[in-house]
Amino acid sequence: MEVHAERDGGALIAQAAGRIDGSNAREFESALRATLSKQDSALILDMQSLSYISSAGLRVILMVAKMLQRRGGKFMVCSLSESIDEVFEISGFNRIIPTHATRSEALAALGE
Amino acid sequence: MSRKLSLKIEPRAEELDTITAAVEEFGDAEKWAPELVFRVNLVLEELGLNIINYGGTEDLHEIEITLTSEPGSLTIEIVDNGRPFDPTKDAPEPDLDSGVAERAVGGLGVYLVRTMMDELHYRRDGGRNYLTLVKELAK
Repeated sequence: MEVHAERDGGALIAQAAGRIDGSNAREFESALRATLSKQDSALILDMQSLSYISSAGLRVILMVAKMLQRRGGKFMVCSLSESIDEVFEISGFNRIIPTHATRSEALAALGE
Repeated sequence: MSRKLSLKIEPRAEELDTITAAVEEFGDAEKWAPELVFRVNLVLEELGLNIINYGGTEDLHEIEITLTSEPGSLTIEIVDNGRPFDPTKDAPEPDLDSGVAERAVGGLGVYLVRTMMDELHYRRDGGRNYLTLVKELAK
């Protein structure tokens, strides 16, 4: 698992690659927290290169969503594979976390 | 014709990688869609980590996993001698309706498994948990 971060149009975009499972979810959490500065008011988690996520990863995503919401920021996810999309749907995350098909759609939604 | 994959793992989280690699190899040989490989890995991770994290007793030293691939179905059997745990009944229903702030963190693993598989059967026998899960597949 790797997290690559960049900034675009006032948003921090974190691209997660590989697998997020029970053995590395804590690393994923530390990597996300390390890339997010206090000034960041919007985070887009881009899952284009993510092949797998289990409940351990969902746990981290919900914690990050809570953190952003507490500071009045925005949090979105984009580019979910079919399987990850199914996991989001079953867990109800797609109803509480804005989910976009592509990064550009997520960025456009932020600008609205 | 059915084909089997049998794994015996030690109850350590590090063994997840062994399971993942074996499932991917078996899935390749069986020509599974990537979505099925994902699903099987998720089921084995969620249930395996539950046993390792919560089922541990001094007696728990092995978890046996068997996958049976047949035309039209996949059966997963998991046997362990940890604490009794019936995933069909003992896991609380997660809260799926609250917003981000109110929603409790965690508690999704067994729910994902129950939703992603078509059948779950549990029995406790001779100090062991026997869990059988079935996924129906398009022939």
